[in-house]
Amino acid sequence: MAEHHGPKPVKTPFMSRGTLVLIALALAGGACYLYRMVFGLAAATNLDNQWPWGIWIAIDVASGVALAAGGFTTAALADIFHKEKYHAIVRPALLTAMLGYTFVVIGLLADLGRYYNVWHPMLPSMWQGNSVLFEVGICVMIYLSVLYIEFLPIVAERFMGRVNLPGPLRIFNRVVDSWLIVCHRFLGRFISLFIIAGVVLSCLHQSSLGTLMVIAPTKVHPLWYTPALPALFLMSAIAVGFPMVIFESILASRSFKLRPERELLSGIAMYTPVLLAAYLAVKIADLVERDAVRYVFEGSLQSVMFLIEVGLGVVAPMVILLSKRARNSIAGLFTASSLVIFGVALNRINVFLISYRPLYPEKSYFPSPFEILVTVGLISTLVLVYRAIVMIFPVIAAAPEAAPREVVVTAPASEPEGATR
Amino acid sequence: MTLDRREILRLAGVGCAALAAGVRPADAELAPSPASADSWAVLMDTVACIGCRKCEWACNVENRLSDAPASTFDNLKVVDAPRRPEHDSFTVVNRFRSPADRDHSWTVKLQCMHCADPACASACLVGALAKDQTGPVTYDAWKCIGCRYCMVACPFQIPAYEYNKPVQPQVRKCTFCAPRLAEGRSPACVAICPNEALTFGRRQVVLDAAHTRIQASPGRYFPHVYGESEAGGTSWLYLAPVEFAYTGLPALDDEPIPHHTERIQHAIFKSFVPPLALYGVLGLVMHALRGDNGHQENTSG
Amino acid sequence: MSRSRPWIVSLALLLAALLPASASPQTAADKAMTEDCTECHTCGVPTARQPCLKACPRTTMVHQASKHQLREAPGMMHLDQLADLYLPVEFNHKAHAGMAEMGLDCATCHHFSPPGVIPPCGECHEPNGSAADLSKPNLKGAYHRQCLACHREWSHDTKCIVCHAPSEQAKLATAPPDPTDIVGTVHPAIAVPAKRVFTTPYQAGPVVTFQHQEHVDLFGFQCTDCHREEGCANCHDITEARRPARTQEEVHAICNDCHGADACAKCHDTRERPGFTHNRTGFPLTGYHQQLDCWSCHPKGKRMKRIDSMCRSCHANWSPETFKHHVTGLVLDEVHAGLDCDACHPDHRYNASPVCDTCHDDGRTADKAPPGVHSKTKSSGASSSSGSAGGGTR
Repeated sequence: MAEHHGPKPVKTPFMSRGTLVLIALALAGGACYLYRMVFGLAAATNLDNQWPWGIWIAIDVASGVALAAGGFTTAALADIFHKEKYHAIVRPALLTAMLGYTFVVIGLLADLGRYYNVWHPMLPSMWQGNSVLFEVGICVMIYLSVLYIEFLPIVAERFMGRVNLPGPLRIFNRVVDSWLIVCHRFLGRFISLFIIAGVVLSCLHQSSLGTLMVIAPTKVHPLWYTPALPALFLMSAIAVGFPMVIFESILASRSFKLRPERELLSGIAMYTPVLLAAYLAVKIADLVERDAVRYVFEGSLQSVMFLIEVGLGVVAPMVILLSKRARNSIAGLFTASSLVIFGVALNRINVFLISYRPLYPEKSYFPSPFEILVTVGLISTLVLVYRAIVMIFPVIAAAPEAAPREVVVTAPASEPEGATR
Repeated sequence: MTLDRREILRLAGVGCAALAAGVRPADAELAPSPASADSWAVLMDTVACIGCRKCEWACNVENRLSDAPASTFDNLKVVDAPRRPEHDSFTVVNRFRSPADRDHSWTVKLQCMHCADPACASACLVGALAKDQTGPVTYDAWKCIGCRYCMVACPFQIPAYEYNKPVQPQVRKCTFCAPRLAEGRSPACVAICPNEALTFGRRQVVLDAAHTRIQASPGRYFPHVYGESEAGGTSWLYLAPVEFAYTGLPALDDEPIPHHTERIQHAIFKSFVPPLALYGVLGLVMHALRGDNGHQENTSG
Repeated sequence: MSRSRPWIVSLALLLAALLPASASPQTAADKAMTEDCTECHTCGVPTARQPCLKACPRTTMVHQASKHQLREAPGMMHLDQLADLYLPVEFNHKAHAGMAEMGLDCATCHHFSPPGVIPPCGECHEPNGSAADLSKPNLKGAYHRQCLACHREWSHDTKCIVCHAPSEQAKLATAPPDPTDIVGTVHPAIAVPAKRVFTTPYQAGPVVTFQHQEHVDLFGFQCTDCHREEGCANCHDITEARRPARTQEEVHAICNDCHGADACAKCHDTRERPGFTHNRTGFPLTGYHQQLDCWSCHPKGKRMKRIDSMCRSCHANWSPETFKHHVTGLVLDEVHAGLDCDACHPDHRYNASPVCDTCHDDGRTADKAPPGVHSKTKSSGASSSSGSAGGGTR
């Protein structure tokens, strides 16, 4: 635990060459988003009656939810299974999940035809318990709230006793401050209730996201159509959680010129080959049980994509991470975790797009430039917001001194130097 | 805490077992949903259909779908190229030709099948699509959020979407003329069909009539009533002169489509026991392992 | 009793002889009644009040009474029970009945016909069918199925306007077919046989040679002048046995309309006869007369009769002053042109050979010493003067 540093706002200039590119992409995506809102889906997308779902569902929503799984896996590891040394990566993972789900919802709003009705599932009069999507929707809504609640202590830590709203809002300073204190006290006692709830909710909707496509037995290619889809989705989400943390930690330390916490990352990378192996075992057993192995080498687009997904996205990183040398090198960790992320994201794209075969195909689907730009823009915006937040709030732990986490949580006010922006 | 760690872990193990036992296919809860014998149904006799497109016209007028004049529907050439129902045409008639004899053809009217256990209604998260006990699968645009999951779910690829509308787009499909049914009238397409290729009645009566036709003219009909059992049964039933593979209707087994997902859903959410059990197990684990690695746990309640 | 029996027997024989047609449906009805009550009734003891009749048992009862002859069939029918979107249908019943003879006769359409009656469709098929009884189509469905089952298969044309006029328009898109046509509808050209040789039971002259082509070409008969009450089945796809047999009277009636007063030998002979030529009438057609059709001389619309061979019987307005002799093929020289007609044609007998000895006593004839110059051919000379009415070679 010697190399465990307390989280602090990152001190680095917001603007850089990378952020300029991201801002440009975000603006382009925003323009496309606006275009879709004004002119409708027909004008902005290549969706039609055969292809009701495109990349906004497959990438923005399905892959987005999967890649936000780092939040709950890390919370489970550090807070439930009490692997305390991993507390340093809980906050970045939490932030990733929070932003990930936020942008999932923003992306979903673009895809919803009646986005202004998105709150309807909250009305008990419209609850439809048979619907998988209802469960996904409700779980995501609650989980998003839980994520924001879990983030509140970080806000409190940063601003408790230092609330200084600009201009005429100054009169609310005391109210906000006392509210932060209440939050801090309350959450200090009950945060674990929310942490467990977050894990349960994640398990539920990560798996249900897979159940979604089980309703289309005649449309989904047999390589992916299985009643085990929810189990596979949950297992792959758990497997991608740590690689996502590793990936983003290495990128962040590169970007912010911090020393990567290699030992921590190597530590959580230990779990990944095990989780991947379990996932792969279930996947293969399922294929064998359904007598679907013959489709693997049928040479179709689906079979090629399946081979890429499993070979490059599951087997390759599993093999890499089995090697202790690779686990202990930043390059090895980065390569392997990138491959896992690629594999799981590709799996979601495969399940929601590649495997989907309309019953009466008239044409194939390829996303329009608007769809691609909205997706790219959303990812860019997410990265920008992440960058902004870690520069405001104490998320990333990279200070040279060892700073036990409990000190940070219980006595945030005792570290005024952490508040400087 | 009076329980020691070992005991707590054992409890957690029991909880896990309970969880595993709970998350099992919940077949018992999936009541078979046979198509109600008393609900309204329509028999589409592709042998009697002459492909005159009068049903398309009547549907267009009844549902105020487009301003197309009646003469638009006099063009009988269009039935030769396969069409699908669209947001502005709830029903279409397609011609299919015998591979052996190009002169031998039959015409098939397509519209929402109004499944007994509709996948779209099971998929819809706000209950905008719902099965009415009298037969129609109805759509409430006010509830709809426009997610188009119904279109993914439909095994007949029927729901169409108003992609062209930036606001208030709707999922459009055959309504079974539910307002007309409520008035005691038959659907507009049935009423106009000159050749009575569409027969409207209670589902059991219609089914009996279909089987009577098959028995009376075995040479004219392929001995199967499509929709009697497909996907758990549909309110629209079909007779054909050939195997249904040559009618453009999808091959489906008898299990209602929603069973595929509801079996899983109901297993996970059986009275909320599995989620709560998972919550309890995780709570016990969290409590039992606290203080591991010599760290003091402050955040746990 | 013994005295009255011959009277009864003779009356019965008379009735049987007089009523062969009306008797057969009755016997068929009786036969049907004795066969099986359950074919029509659902209960064992039907009464007048509760006949418990089956609802139009299409499959069990078909038209099984005697055949109806095509001539009994109604002609045009006006089907207007359901006029709604479209005008009523003008239905050529006879033409369709003719076509039906190729199939199941009346039962092709009148699939349920109790013995002796042919009920209208509406008797079983109610205008508004009920959703509770789907055993039979409603009236609209019944009509359309009946028509379209064949129209779809044969003409591949199922457009509404084949039968209906849209109600906003006044006229049918297709005019009803000419009823004088042999099949009552548009029909491809039929190859007319040149002649037919019949062998008849008439011993004195068993062979009757009927010059079919002549009757059509020379006498201008329409098909239906002779082929009366005939339908498609007379020619199409039907065995000889099913072709309606004609009685001797029926066969003779067709010929006797024209040949009424002629002796039997007019048609009957012991051997086949050659076709008609005008030479056989004693008035061979030559020159301009070859160009004419029969009706130029013989009154049209009347039976062909022998007419007087005198030119003036036809050329009533002929006068010597306007006659140009060259139409006969002989251009008279100047000397002869100035003569009166009867100088060469005594008593105006123009069909006899002209005489020369009125003036010339050297025994010459017109053939050897023509009184002028013959033009190249007689016909060309004749056609060049077609405007003038006259013929000088008689």
